[in-house]
Amino acid sequence: MRTNAVFPGLIVFVLYLAVPVAVGHIDYVMSLIIAALTIGGIAVAWALLGNLGGMVSFGHAAFFGVGSYVSALLTLDAGWPVFAAMLAGGAGAVIASVVTMPALRLRGPYFALAILAFAHIFRILATELESITHGAGGLLSIPVLPTVAGFDLGTKIGGYYVILTIVLLAMAGYAWLRQSTMGLALLAMHDTEDATRIVGVPSTRLKALMLVVSAFITGVVGAFNAHQINFLDPDYAFSGSWTVLPIVAAIFGGYRTISGPLVGALVIYLVDQLVFKEFLPHGHEIILGALLVAMIVLSPTGLVPLVMRMVTRGRHAQA
Amino acid sequence: MFELTLQALYSGLLTGAYYALVALGLALVFGTMKIINLAHGELVLLAAYVAYTAESQWGLNPLASIPLALVLVGFVAVAVYLLVGRIKKDRELNSLILTFGIGIILTNFVLLVWSADIHSTTTTWFQEAVVVGDILYSSRSEVLFFLISIALVFATWWWLTRTWYGRAIRAVSSNRDAAMLMGVNPRQTEVLSFVVAGVLATVAGIAIYTGQVIQPSLGLALTIKAFIITVLAGMGSIPGVLLGAVLIGVIEALTVTYLSSSLQEFTGMVLFLVVLLLRPQGLFGFGARRG
Repeated sequence: MRTNAVFPGLIVFVLYLAVPVAVGHIDYVMSLIIAALTIGGIAVAWALLGNLGGMVSFGHAAFFGVGSYVSALLTLDAGWPVFAAMLAGGAGAVIASVVTMPALRLRGPYFALAILAFAHIFRILATELESITHGAGGLLSIPVLPTVAGFDLGTKIGGYYVILTIVLLAMAGYAWLRQSTMGLALLAMHDTEDATRIVGVPSTRLKALMLVVSAFITGVVGAFNAHQINFLDPDYAFSGSWTVLPIVAAIFGGYRTISGPLVGALVIYLVDQLVFKEFLPHGHEIILGALLVAMIVLSPTGLVPLVMRMVTRGRHAQA
Repeated sequence: MFELTLQALYSGLLTGAYYALVALGLALVFGTMKIINLAHGELVLLAAYVAYTAESQWGLNPLASIPLALVLVGFVAVAVYLLVGRIKKDRELNSLILTFGIGIILTNFVLLVWSADIHSTTTTWFQEAVVVGDILYSSRSEVLFFLISIALVFATWWWLTRTWYGRAIRAVSSNRDAAMLMGVNPRQTEVLSFVVAGVLATVAGIAIYTGQVIQPSLGLALTIKAFIITVLAGMGSIPGVLLGAVLIGVIEALTVTYLSSSLQEFTGMVLFLVVLLLRPQGLFGFGARRG
């Protein structure tokens, strides 16, 4: 029990203090870590929907793109402050998720593919609605994160703190949801949805809520990315990579655990950028696909549970 | 205006026929295994690229490369089946992620081997015009593969309703355990459905290669399209798949004619959403029982 409290605390301490001290002055490394955390944020949101809602989404790029566009346009064209606009980006993604809710009437594979179709629709809309989104040319010089209490969040270290906080808050929210009565009902639904409905659990409403929460997190992460990269176009904002990488990360780390998606994102993204991309500049995603297949076939619960099993087994052996 | 509409209807009808081949394969596998094979569009893509290689390297006519493509696509289809069979827990979710991963592998394999350039047949015979009644224009490839596709769809229908193996597939689709008790080997039937889906995908791949252009991103787009068609059709209805495919083909052609080619896929997806909202069992299907 005590290790359960000390261990996460130690990791948070390392993440907030040790990482910036160790590599904070190397811009390239910080950019990589920020991007990995961005993927991690989506991976947490994706895993929340998959684990609690029992739904596989292939369309999280839709929520990511909507969040980034809403936030970028509000700061650029309406002069909103960046943080308010980022929350609005999350809200925009929530509205997008409400649009996708007819898909909740569909089960399993139907939902997964319906939401993939939505991602395409949103990308086409972002390209075609030129009067609002500025079309295929994209958005340039999106405002950077502001200076708060003398600390410039527009720097790499500042951006690191912001995305780290977003991801950790998302994980805390996820953990709270999972242990709440809602989490219990969702767990029961995972076994048999029909039986759960009979005892009075509003299953569709709960699934809709999980979709909303997942979309909100993804939207805020997307908004953060827009202010970090300072550039957007429809193909980038709604790119399939925003769906593929988080799925690989979540599956690799273990999508039924809270920390798995983040661990998976850090490992997968850094290895992908530093190793795979060196060997295969084009088509390096082939290795991600292979990893996905290998994980599902060999250890569908992911790496984190596998390692934890090995650790506890070791401990039993010692005692 | 009238002639434009007529031309759009005609082109849509021709495209719809090969869409039906892709959708039918997806529906067959879903029927026996209750999984959506997200790598299905990539099977079509592979067949098209085999035809491209055979033609550009050895000067083989795309029609003659069908057997060659069949071997490769059949091999990959069986590999997909074997991998899906390894899944023990949470079959529905895990099979989706697994076949999605296989799709990523295949798309990037094509990208690595053949690069992202677009290709099309160099055999000019396929692209010469066929004019029907002085007003309707099409290419030889479109007409030829329209006829082949329709024939194949009806052959599949006949096979499913009239032959022992076809009936076995339908039996496993409706009740796996009962079929097993009646002496049907479900594993054999599942492999068979994958292979038949591979055959249909191969022909669709050659149709695309001779009639249009191919590029690596086509695979996923085709899977989505095939899925939309099966939703429109309602699961388990072959005439429905054909009608749904033609409907999508016609709607796309009308969109390109009257709105913009960049909206081609958009209207199909909007239709898909409307059907989901108003008639989730599909336009031609029946509601399924829960439980």
